[in-house]
Amino acid sequence: MRRLQTRFVVLFLMVIYSQVSLAADLEALPEFLRSDPFGAIVAPDRSGADLASSLYDTQHRVILTGSRGGYVSFHLVVKLPLPGLYTLDVKISDPTNKVQIDLFREWFHFTDSDKHYYPDALIPVHSTYSSRLPEPDNRISQQTAQAFWVDVYIAPDAHPGTLSGSATLKAGTEIMTLPIQLTVMASVIPAEDAVTVDHNSYGSSWLAQQFAASYQRDPEHWFESNQFFGLIHAYHRIFFEHRGIFHQLGYGHSGKVGPEFAPVLDGSGKRKHITSWSLYDRHYGPLFDGTAFSACRRGRRPIPFVYLPINPEWPASYEFWGEAGYEAEFVNVVSEMERHFREKAWTHTNFEVFFNHKKRYKGFPWDGDEVRFPKDLKYFIEYGRLLKKALPAGTPVQFVFRADVSWDMEQQFGLLEGVVKLWCAGGGILSFYKDAPKMLRNRGDVVWYYGGPPSVMDSSSAITEFPLRAWLWGVNGYVHWLTVSPGEDPWFHFNGGQTALVYSGEGFGMTEPIPSIRLKIQRNCLQDLAVLDGLKGRMSLDSLRAGAARSYNNSALDDWWNPRPALADLPSDQWLGSAIDDATKHSRQRLGHPVASAWYNVHRYALTLQAEAK
Amino acid sequence: MKILYLFALVVSFIVLLSGNAKLNPEASTDLERQLDDVARVGSVVVDGDVCQKIVTRRAKEFLFAKEFRDEFLAGDNYDVDDVAFNTVKKTLIRLSHLASFPADVNLWMPIEGHPGKIQLVIRNKNEMSQFWNWGELYGDMVPQMETVLKTGQRVTVTNKPGWISVLAPVYNSSGDVVGLIETVSQVKVDAHENVK
Repeated sequence: MRRLQTRFVVLFLMVIYSQVSLAADLEALPEFLRSDPFGAIVAPDRSGADLASSLYDTQHRVILTGSRGGYVSFHLVVKLPLPGLYTLDVKISDPTNKVQIDLFREWFHFTDSDKHYYPDALIPVHSTYSSRLPEPDNRISQQTAQAFWVDVYIAPDAHPGTLSGSATLKAGTEIMTLPIQLTVMASVIPAEDAVTVDHNSYGSSWLAQQFAASYQRDPEHWFESNQFFGLIHAYHRIFFEHRGIFHQLGYGHSGKVGPEFAPVLDGSGKRKHITSWSLYDRHYGPLFDGTAFSACRRGRRPIPFVYLPINPEWPASYEFWGEAGYEAEFVNVVSEMERHFREKAWTHTNFEVFFNHKKRYKGFPWDGDEVRFPKDLKYFIEYGRLLKKALPAGTPVQFVFRADVSWDMEQQFGLLEGVVKLWCAGGGILSFYKDAPKMLRNRGDVVWYYGGPPSVMDSSSAITEFPLRAWLWGVNGYVHWLTVSPGEDPWFHFNGGQTALVYSGEGFGMTEPIPSIRLKIQRNCLQDLAVLDGLKGRMSLDSLRAGAARSYNNSALDDWWNPRPALADLPSDQWLGSAIDDATKHSRQRLGHPVASAWYNVHRYALTLQAEAK
Repeated sequence: MKILYLFALVVSFIVLLSGNAKLNPEASTDLERQLDDVARVGSVVVDGDVCQKIVTRRAKEFLFAKEFRDEFLAGDNYDVDDVAFNTVKKTLIRLSHLASFPADVNLWMPIEGHPGKIQLVIRNKNEMSQFWNWGELYGDMVPQMETVLKTGQRVTVTNKPGWISVLAPVYNSSGDVVGLIETVSQVKVDAHENVK
């Protein structure tokens, strides 16, 4: 009898347990913990698993706190143990509509290299979203969880105080509600960033590939269509709304210029001149006067930087290099450009004279990008002379000579002083020269460093390392060298996304790009950096930086630099790539890879300082 | 007056047709003929001795170098003599003006000690080549190139749909074929291709 009782109890418990595990569930996770399609935290983020309950208070409410003029973000994860329909509804009541919810469904990318799923692309959905699991288009047959990214936007003029909201999941007869409490702080996130984060790209043929349906409707005229220019502007907008900027290089390594990147030229020698601005102005006009951003939350603003089409083959033909005809072609056309920009009052943008070619691509006999051989620098000096000749003294149009430097940067900082004003430096080699950023900025130059986005297989906080390093180093910005190239099949055979931070929205019925989780985390990081930098009137910048570094990975500021290696005193054409690698070991070992919670800690640090400042 | 108007209309129509013919696949014979003319002239005016001075000894030494910790070793050591390069490049650009349509004249050189391999040494502003795989320092020599280098004959290649290349020998002062030029165009030029 006793044995029967025991069996009954076990059976009863099993039934109860199965009922519990079969129940639908709705979970809120901090932005740094990404879920996979089965409800587990993805492996690279498990280092931050202790954050899992950090959003909840003791009453199981989701507690959010944010400054005005920015975003607070988190994940919601819908879990259904069995296939079925569901509806998710997220709201925060604000009668003034100064607090708004942006909801995104997270796409689970299958990465071929490690055969796992990672969420990254964010598909905008209405704040009431109905679908089923498994999600039909994501095609994961055993899917039991769907993650959503929630952006809570707090306008700069929102009223400080507390707002209530909820996330409600309906699945079959079950209804589950997570109460949300948002505290809007009185502080306002500075609109200007402490660090410029650039998202680079090359040409525009990739747009036709990624928006193939649009292109196929009229391939003959697509590159001159309103859709095409609208799409380019949409790329600028998506990066701008995420506190970044966007660059599109308009020429190839041998000097071929895409028609939309340059005015049309005619003639030769001293008769060479501009005959049409039509495509150029359609492309750039709304970017230079800011109207392309009129509907943005951040407001209308001209783009701060743009590549010019100038290269060794444009506007002057390389056929005449070194001759009077080359100088005439260059000077006359660049003068016409300056006049056009001035007449249009496009005076808020830095127009970059930038040489991207490398001799290994066989177009020209000198490296414009990453000069290694000092003999190539004579070309820079000559272009500096030509540019000076082309521009009237005191022009309000901002032409700036940019150089992307690595090997020989220390010598170039000296030799090209007064010629190059915008330095984009390789991060590894710049880490040898701790005094360089201050020296360059003190003389009025702008300094960025460059690298590439982390993979989705890295921890969620990995993307924050680049802007943080820029701020700790005291440089003006950071460049992701390629950010619009997610590979042939990012949806089902993903390469990890080290060349993409946005995706085409065309597969989801949209005519614009869609963001990624990494881009959102980067934006939130930039918000915090703007806050921290904004506190420098109350604390020393060094102290703020030291606090952020300590919070991030328990590092000291010196850990972010490398000792000047012996090779720095050798001519750069004697350096080996592997030796550079060795010379950057120090910082790699000291810093390690950022754990998922790294930026969470910096965010808390910023919030604490803000509260103290108040 | 009406007759004049009609005459002008007919002339415009003919001019328009002949202009379009350059972009029409059926008119590729004209393309081929012009490219062959350019190649023939190029064989005479491109100076093989100068071409041989373009790629530096250092670049040649590193061309096939492999280092597992340094995937860019060969590219990072690629270097040219800019005076020789500019001299030949200017000639190639002027040659391309002989065609009445957008065309490039590229210089290819065999690699000493590596039979079957060839490298593109100079490209030009339309970024056209039927043989160059974007970014590669050197590649496998196609049989037509081998023919040109061995026999000194010009060879027309239309392997890639819509592309026409004429390969022609480049001689040095000893009378040896030391390289070849590729005069190349496309039946339909893609304004956005290779802007990267």
